[in-house]
Amino acid sequence: MNRRLIMRLLGSLLLIEAIAMLPSFLISLYYGDNDDLPLLYSILINIAAGSFMFFFFRPDVNSHLRLKEGFIITALGWIFLGIFGSLPFVFSKALPRFEDAFFETVSGLTTTGASVVTDFDHFPRGVMFWRATTHWIGGMGVLVLTLALLPKLTGRTSHLIRAESPGPSLSKLVPKTGATAKILYRIYILLTLIEFVTLLICGLNPYDAAVHTFATAGTGGFSNYGKSIAQFNSVPVEIAITIFMFMFGVNFALYYKFLIGDRFKAFFHDEEFRWYFIFALTFMLLITLINLQHYNGDFFTSLRYGSFQVSSIMSTTGFVTYDFNQWPAASHIIIVIAMLIGSCAGSTAGGIKVIRIILLSKLSRRNIRATGQPKKMDVIRLDGKAVDEHMLSQIAQFVFMYIALVLIGGFIMSLGSGYDLTTNLSASLTCVSNVGPGLGAVGPVYNYAGYTVHAKMTASFLMLFGRLELLPLFILFTRSAWHKY
Amino acid sequence: MRIIVIGAGKVGYTIAEHLIAEEHDVIIIDKNDDVIDRCSSSLDALCVKGNGANAKVLLEAGVDKAHIVIASTESDESNMLACLISKRLGAHYTIARIRDPEFNESQTLLQNELGIDVAINPERATALEISRLLRYPFAGSIESFARGSVEMVEFRAQEGDCFIGIPMRKLSEKLPKLPKILYAMVERNNTVMIPDGDFSIKPGDKVFVSGDMIGITEYFRYLGRNKHKIRSVMILGGSRISYYLSKLIIPMGIHVTLFEINEDKARALSELLPKVDVIVGDGTDQDLLEEQGLPQMDAFVSLSNRDEENLLSGMHASRCGVPKVIAKNSRMAYREILNDLGLDSVISPQFITSSTILRYVRARENSNGTKIERLYRLVDGKAEALEFIARKEDSYVGIPLKNLTTKKGSIVSVIVHQGKIIIPFGNDRIEENDHVIIISVESGISDLNEVLYK
Repeated sequence: MNRRLIMRLLGSLLLIEAIAMLPSFLISLYYGDNDDLPLLYSILINIAAGSFMFFFFRPDVNSHLRLKEGFIITALGWIFLGIFGSLPFVFSKALPRFEDAFFETVSGLTTTGASVVTDFDHFPRGVMFWRATTHWIGGMGVLVLTLALLPKLTGRTSHLIRAESPGPSLSKLVPKTGATAKILYRIYILLTLIEFVTLLICGLNPYDAAVHTFATAGTGGFSNYGKSIAQFNSVPVEIAITIFMFMFGVNFALYYKFLIGDRFKAFFHDEEFRWYFIFALTFMLLITLINLQHYNGDFFTSLRYGSFQVSSIMSTTGFVTYDFNQWPAASHIIIVIAMLIGSCAGSTAGGIKVIRIILLSKLSRRNIRATGQPKKMDVIRLDGKAVDEHMLSQIAQFVFMYIALVLIGGFIMSLGSGYDLTTNLSASLTCVSNVGPGLGAVGPVYNYAGYTVHAKMTASFLMLFGRLELLPLFILFTRSAWHKY
Repeated sequence: MRIIVIGAGKVGYTIAEHLIAEEHDVIIIDKNDDVIDRCSSSLDALCVKGNGANAKVLLEAGVDKAHIVIASTESDESNMLACLISKRLGAHYTIARIRDPEFNESQTLLQNELGIDVAINPERATALEISRLLRYPFAGSIESFARGSVEMVEFRAQEGDCFIGIPMRKLSEKLPKLPKILYAMVERNNTVMIPDGDFSIKPGDKVFVSGDMIGITEYFRYLGRNKHKIRSVMILGGSRISYYLSKLIIPMGIHVTLFEINEDKARALSELLPKVDVIVGDGTDQDLLEEQGLPQMDAFVSLSNRDEENLLSGMHASRCGVPKVIAKNSRMAYREILNDLGLDSVISPQFITSSTILRYVRARENSNGTKIERLYRLVDGKAEALEFIARKEDSYVGIPLKNLTTKKGSIVSVIVHQGKIIIPFGNDRIEENDHVIIISVESGISDLNEVLYK
């Protein structure tokens, strides 16, 4: 294991985090909620630790980043970012306990949006802005940002982007990893700006617009109001956010193809997007119809809350306009299914990902066909191209691990919590899928403050597992990861 | 530049690796899943799975925007087809690996009709390299410029060479008989220097001299290095390389003895090469080799299909006292070990092919936009040779070189004036439209005016 290279890259991550804290510091100066010094200290600590690691550890110029090291850096990097990113919460006494601050930061970085904040009215606005910023940088990925910003640190950087990007396979846009990272961030910034302007037009003030744009872009779901989007009670805002949540759940490679000239063909020729679209529409329609009775037969009210919630849950954002705990059980089941599926690979969203669901469905159909015709050669195709059998088995294993993690996580969180089955399992699922709100006592109008310390730490790690798609963190628990060679 | 490499075998992979190191955008096409997996995890390139002769696959790889397409699959036909299609789809420049001698006969026709800009024959390129090593047996490496009319030869200075310790400016005065030649570069302790007037060569230095073929031959004859001119060569194995090599060295007056175990093959070779003594027999049979006069040979070249056999018989020949032994080894690994074993000339066709292709790419790269006609990287990239064409409006035209200032770390190596090679000294001058070759240890030169000024 190339320790010096790992340390250097981790150092660069902390430096990036320090840069990301700067806007929050400026905002804290503007509003004067007495959180400027805590943010300044956090920035300085990040810079000090980051530059020590970056400049003190100089790896051999010719050293290559190996696959294993790529995974280890990604996993350790996110844990480091979570620890150092929680400093502003602790210093400003907004969340004085470390486990709360760590939970909140990891929830932000992994774009989960699960919160332990109970008092939104007295929360310092600089730190609140940092809370939103974690969504934005965590959404597209901090390592991707590092690759886009910093000159070539080492060879074979594609291992990093591979470990951090969601989805079963990495789709590079252009031959160079660094250039790919730059393009991804340009598209990300462009979409973010469009949403910010849209929300301003819808009547939000710049601060609210920025916070909610960051939360939508990263598909996170932190709001600076306890009532989330319901605070505004505005149909235009809800429609805009519904559309943008859906958009940030789309594979960014498709936006690139759209921009370089494929136009709308880019989207509808993509099998994953088509199914994402179909799933979303179907769920919206089903929930609208199921809830019809709950809303006394008012179709448009039912559609308004149903479509927003489906877009919010499927894109794993977790914004709320209505307490869906009160909906009928059938709607709850659809919400759980949407949480499991999530959005497209290569987006900022979480979940199992539509592409894996499509391929597993095709695999299951093949198994059924094969019972009748075992000798028939049956190739599974995606977008008309044959899919590698090795990848199919990896996907099946991934989904198994995903479900296992949700169950085990739910068990650990339930220990000593006093909550019921729905609460614990939905909390575990919503953390692994990076959604945010669950059902029962972690439902839309409640939060995670009531959980025990060990449950909060477990939840934080479940979120990390979900964001990094399991393997980078699992590898930390193997003995071979810590071998010197 | 955007470069598509079709077929990531040994040659393709090496080329892609080097091109990525030189900051090009590389797209690899291969039909093998394992190869694609390996490339996408270890190379910073875009990898596309599919057949490189399929237009759909080529378009997916962005062939319409590609500057260069390099087809290096195992199959000649696929390579030609890939180049043809790429050119039609809009690729600017195509390079194909074509090894069958049958295709070689109609090469110009094929190239014109199929849109192949450069056809590389690995076996022929390897034979060419071996023939150069045989011509200057003492040379470590040979580079050729200006379409082969100018050569740069690397050799190691020894204790007792007449030029040791004499500053450059006094060489002609103290050693009037030493043929005039340009000392282009000297490598000492792994750094490359351009000798100026006060520079003197020490024993152990690697010296690079450049000149035309006759000048270089005379120079080494004076130094006494060319005493053992190679007159007889024994070749092991009747491969394609052996065929090309024999064709190249027989006109140089070298006698060739060739071993081939397969009788039909031996007969065919004998028909094609009437002047060669073709021996039917096992080239690893020591008695047979000795009977055919191995210890008296000036050089031994082992070119059989099996690397181990080549290396072992090479070591055997070396023990028998053959002064120059060249062995073919397809794998590039273990090079250091082979040096320790006393085999100083181990050649790999894959390496030669990839470096030949890279040379074309670099030449292409530099003719884009800048005034450089061609660029060659020397001594593992520590120095560069750049070819320029002098223009009328340039300030150095018509002025004797001694009245001009030369940028430090650079030297005017050769002037080609109306097809005539001039090794420049103080009184020579550059005229309009002359080709000028500059050697420099600094990279980034893009204009001759940066190097030469009043």
